[in-house]
Amino acid sequence: MAQFLIVDVHRCTGCRNCELACSVRNRNTFSPALARIRVVRDEARGLVVPVVCLQCEEPLCRDACPVGAIVEGVSGVLTVNQDLCIGCGNCVTACVYGGIVLEPVSRRAIKCDLCGGDPACVEACEYGALTVGDSASTDRADRARGMSPVLREYGLVTEVRE
Amino acid sequence: MTFSYGGYAGRYAEVDLTAGRVHVREMEREWARLCLGGTGVAAKILWERTGPQTDPLGPDNVLVVGTGPLTGVMFSPAGRMMFASKSPLTGIWGESHVGGFFGPEMKYAGFDFVIVTGRSPRPVYLLLQDGEAELRDAHHLWGRETGETTQMIREEIADPTVKTAVIGPAGENGVLYGCIIVDQYRAAGRTGMGTVMGSKNLKAIAATGSLPIEAHDMERYLEANGQEMERLRDPLWTDSLASLRKYGTTDLVAIINEIGRLPTKNHWTGYFEHAEDIGPEVIAERYRLTQEACYGCAIGCKYVYRVRGGRFAGGPAGGPEYETIMAFGSNCLNNDIESVMYLGHRCDQLGMDTISCGKSISFAMELWEKGILGPDDTDGLSLEWGNVDTMTELVERIARREGHLATLLAQGTRRAAEVIGGDAWRYAIHCKGLEASGQDPRAHQSVGLTYATNVRGADHLRSLSSLEELGYPEIVIKRFGREKADEILNIMSPKYKGELIWDMENLYAVVDSAVICKYGTMWPPVYYYETFANVLPPLTGMSEWGDVRYVIDAGRRISHLRRAYNHRLGITREDETLPHRLLKEPMPTGPAKGGLPDLDQMLDEYYEFRGCDPKTGLPRRDRLEQLGLGFVAEELATMGLLAG
Repeated sequence: MAQFLIVDVHRCTGCRNCELACSVRNRNTFSPALARIRVVRDEARGLVVPVVCLQCEEPLCRDACPVGAIVEGVSGVLTVNQDLCIGCGNCVTACVYGGIVLEPVSRRAIKCDLCGGDPACVEACEYGALTVGDSASTDRADRARGMSPVLREYGLVTEVRE
Repeated sequence: MTFSYGGYAGRYAEVDLTAGRVHVREMEREWARLCLGGTGVAAKILWERTGPQTDPLGPDNVLVVGTGPLTGVMFSPAGRMMFASKSPLTGIWGESHVGGFFGPEMKYAGFDFVIVTGRSPRPVYLLLQDGEAELRDAHHLWGRETGETTQMIREEIADPTVKTAVIGPAGENGVLYGCIIVDQYRAAGRTGMGTVMGSKNLKAIAATGSLPIEAHDMERYLEANGQEMERLRDPLWTDSLASLRKYGTTDLVAIINEIGRLPTKNHWTGYFEHAEDIGPEVIAERYRLTQEACYGCAIGCKYVYRVRGGRFAGGPAGGPEYETIMAFGSNCLNNDIESVMYLGHRCDQLGMDTISCGKSISFAMELWEKGILGPDDTDGLSLEWGNVDTMTELVERIARREGHLATLLAQGTRRAAEVIGGDAWRYAIHCKGLEASGQDPRAHQSVGLTYATNVRGADHLRSLSSLEELGYPEIVIKRFGREKADEILNIMSPKYKGELIWDMENLYAVVDSAVICKYGTMWPPVYYYETFANVLPPLTGMSEWGDVRYVIDAGRRISHLRRAYNHRLGITREDETLPHRLLKEPMPTGPAKGGLPDLDQMLDEYYEFRGCDPKTGLPRRDRLEQLGLGFVAEELATMGLLAG
């Protein structure tokens, strides 16, 4: 079953330790710019939002890649083949969520591949804001609930009281 | 550029504002080896480049912007950075630390330090980006408040993730306690570092970058770092940390009032009967929106508040910390928490230290009560205790230095008292010119020694001990031995407090050079010298730091260097004292009623441990030489400033 990260913004304090853990796991260095998860802050709204690949079932990034560099890796998670990627950025444009970015040093696309099933960011989060879910409907509901304050704050959903 | 030690960005920037030139240099190995980073390196730089002739607000003063090897490398709690300069408020050693994200970003932008000299002919800001440093025009930012300035820089650099350290109108206008605001609502508050920036026409420093920080041996460093994190995760501290996450420092309002140490009515007493109104529960229930953390921090003590309606409506913004609540709340006999939040927020926006500002106002309120200031002296303001209208108006006027009273108070309590004359000095609660923070030695003996010996003046952050304040017998026994434990743990006993505070000062000197947070060391007291010996060698590759003795000596070296900086400016034992009220007036009310500190006894012991002459407080030559400070001894000798 395909896995994905569940972000609970209620618990996130914006410390960005997930970014560092990601850069250490993937690049053996401390550099948030090399991380595949980004914490975006919006102080005016009092919001802190970790942004990471949603592991879409119908991934726009894969379809947008002209060289077929975005392929299914272990446990069905999409990964970027760094040898094939030409750094055109089509995938970055295609992803509506900001889940894939061009890494500033190599100029190749990078995205979360769940560290092959044992994500470093989940382990590094002291606040329990990140967990791994699978396709089970409860996990999908958790993911939606975890992001609800963001959608509310930006007016993307309206609550209907019965 | 490849600096040989891990954990450092490997560069520093020399900024000559007069000439408008920036030089990027490789980080100095000797700085790292002897002084680590942060306050240690700043002390070395300021010792060499400033002195008695330096005008704090002249082009000859030097501002050091510093990080340390533990900044931005997953050590928790770190995420901090610091500023140091000769202080315009006190005329002596000045430094101020701040959390948030600017310090780590400065390193990812490629810089461990920035050294700012001169004065720009026109307003500028400094942009640090991927190993390069550039001065940019800031005329459009000049005069603006800190929030707007931050927003405009982010938009100008077209990068919402750019991190900033900016000043507000107060720093530009020469208010002597102008502060530096980092990431919208975190303040390097004390000793007027923002005023130094203002005097140099430097509006802001911005940093953004994607340069990686390497560890010397990543695997071993992560293992050592994990071991230290485990100490923080000890079940012993679970409740304490949960409280920090829920209340942050606001919890101190309740805890400190309970021991009768909460400055109230311009430090007249240490007990505020309306403390509940400005305490942690009210804030958490009514105003707290969410909790935030500094970079990579596992504690997360910062809260974001919102006041939804009324005249003080505001937020989301960073909420006032304990010190601000004390300064604008209990110490002005003000129990209106919404006004405290508003005043704290306005000080952030105007770029003013909430402690010195609040204490200057409480000082004026007491002078009003005593009849030393009357209606003719206050530009029409009425200064009764807790008069919120006057407080809000005064904060704005002080930032603009508008009118007689505000101009006076913009200089801090020491100078204001000198100008007013008569008995005014009795109500100026400061040491060495720095307004006291939110403690009281009449309820906690060792705070008296901390205030008196602190190189930047009356506050807690250079050596406060929580060991007897909150009572940690095992830790006291481990550090100081069983036979001294009872006396040390007795909060009102002066015995062995000289040794205690000497040790704390040494420890915090390393903490402030690393640069990490006081949480984890001051409280809960889990990290000690061993922590640095564990994590620094695999991170940096400097093997000498693996020896605990070396770490302790580094703390002693840095402490002596900062003290010597002040000696050269004329500071001796005579200046290492307390304001009259805290030294001579017994605590009038509350749980600590009757308390007074035995300062002389503690000072004698402190000087003995520090290796100083008890009569003058000046250091012995052999002690300085043992610590690799021969160059300091030489210079002090020529000025006649060595012990005996």
